[in-house]
Amino acid sequence: MGEFALSTDAWIVSGVALAYLVGCLWVGMRGGSGASDSALGYVAGDRALGPLVMYFIIGATVFSAFSFLATPGLALTSGAAVFYVLGYGLVGFIPFYFLGPRAARLGRSRGYITQAEMVAGECRHAPLAGTMALVSALSFVPYLALQIKGAGLVVNRLTEGQVPEWLGAAVCYAVVLAYVLKSGVLGVGWTNVFQGVLMMALAWAFGLWLPYKLYGGVGPMFEQIAAAKPEVEGGPLFLSAPGAKTWTWFLNSGVISMIGFVCWPHLFMKAFSARDERTLRRTVVFYPTFMIFLVPIFLIGFAGVLFPSRPASPEQILPHMLMSLDLPALVVGLFCAGALAAGMSTGDAIVHASASILVRDGWITALRRPLTSTQERRAVRVLIVVLMLASYALAVLYRGDLVSLLLYAYGPIAQFLPGLLVSLLGRRRDGVALHVALVVGVVVCVTLKLYPERAPWGVHEGLCGLAANSVVLLALSLARGWRPFSASSGSSAPA
Amino acid sequence: MSSARSRLPHVLFALHSVVATFCVVGPGYRWWGASARPFVLGLPWSLVWALIWLVAVFASLLLYERYTRRVEDDAARTTSGEGR
Repeated sequence: MGEFALSTDAWIVSGVALAYLVGCLWVGMRGGSGASDSALGYVAGDRALGPLVMYFIIGATVFSAFSFLATPGLALTSGAAVFYVLGYGLVGFIPFYFLGPRAARLGRSRGYITQAEMVAGECRHAPLAGTMALVSALSFVPYLALQIKGAGLVVNRLTEGQVPEWLGAAVCYAVVLAYVLKSGVLGVGWTNVFQGVLMMALAWAFGLWLPYKLYGGVGPMFEQIAAAKPEVEGGPLFLSAPGAKTWTWFLNSGVISMIGFVCWPHLFMKAFSARDERTLRRTVVFYPTFMIFLVPIFLIGFAGVLFPSRPASPEQILPHMLMSLDLPALVVGLFCAGALAAGMSTGDAIVHASASILVRDGWITALRRPLTSTQERRAVRVLIVVLMLASYALAVLYRGDLVSLLLYAYGPIAQFLPGLLVSLLGRRRDGVALHVALVVGVVVCVTLKLYPERAPWGVHEGLCGLAANSVVLLALSLARGWRPFSASSGSSAPA
Repeated sequence: MSSARSRLPHVLFALHSVVATFCVVGPGYRWWGASARPFVLGLPWSLVWALIWLVAVFASLLLYERYTRRVEDDAARTTSGEGR
């Protein structure tokens, strides 16, 4: 038990983090009180989410432990390469302006509450939903593990190693588990409002204060970095895109992330939760204002470039600087709460979405095993616990870096793009062709992830998979004579 | 003529979105946004370039949403007028 004996500072940091967790728990437990006691209420909030919750549920879900830890780490090691995050985030959500309202309309008329259910229903090929559910779950587990790992890492570093990573992660995600189980999507939504406000306020506070404290301001910070780094034509290499990375990496990462972004099932299925189409469109319109949040995150990373010491891994740069500056424990605790908010606001949405998808798309749609509303709710809850435990195990055992974990997850998810476009915009749909093409795309993607040297011209495995996916879809659809399908002739999805 | 005019906002928005994508995740970044200098308000041009596009995308989305809403409201008024 001696290893858990905390110093006074560690007690204060842990106390602030615990106060934040109690706040989350309170908001999350109360959040679900307005929903009906049905699967629709638990998974889609009775299709009644207003603009405020939608804005934060999308924004806070997108900004994760990756934003708070890996983004400054990337700025620290690779300089201007980090700006790809701003680029893809900015344009990646625009397609949702058109796809979101269409999906919402279909959801209302045919009872869809998940992405795969919609694609399979519109293409009248139920097994497709099962494959999409499996691919989603396989991508979600590492993404959730990333959030859990981030939480453990933050608590561990900020208590100077006195609270072990496994314990910090376990306490944080026990709270997530409690409010997601109790309140479903409404618990996720209202905690995201709370977490979104907290993490934005803290990111701006640290993003402006650190450059001022270390360099005398943001401008002087970049001038000093420029002076310390080798110059090339157009300015210092480190601050010119793509920084320490190659253009192939920069463009690859931007394009695959942009495509994966619009396909993420946990974001896409929020189209079925919104009160109306205008709410959805406004969420997309105001989304770029959330992207401003990345600027202080970049500044934090650049503040570490000329910092006298380096952490063990780049992702620890912010906790490392805070611990080295001898700040009051209360300030360190506040940062801890902000970083936890970033990770938890994504983790809760992911675990809720993945369990809903596996039950709705895998069990009910693909395997054709209908459940009553109460049984469905119960099954989703059981799977939430199972997925959380699997992700926790991966988080504790995984030793790689966070960026790789995220970029892995985007590849398989990007394979959903043809299915989404065909089901929402196409006039003729061939479910079998889509299904085969999806499997080929995922196989190519995973194979190239395992053997990256075989990817042509260093193109991201997800993009190679998408190319194979599209070619197979086109060839099969042509060979099978573009099986026509009238949009008004019903679907195989459950109502 | 009026059909062409009513299509114009959609075409302009689509064009703007394609150009924005080209400039922030495509080769446009490499050609026009990659360099660190000049520094603008203390920030390197490579960051300012992305921020300019952030403002431009926000403005275009705002205008396009207002237009979409107006068209929907007009259509709803016409429908309710016909109903009476």
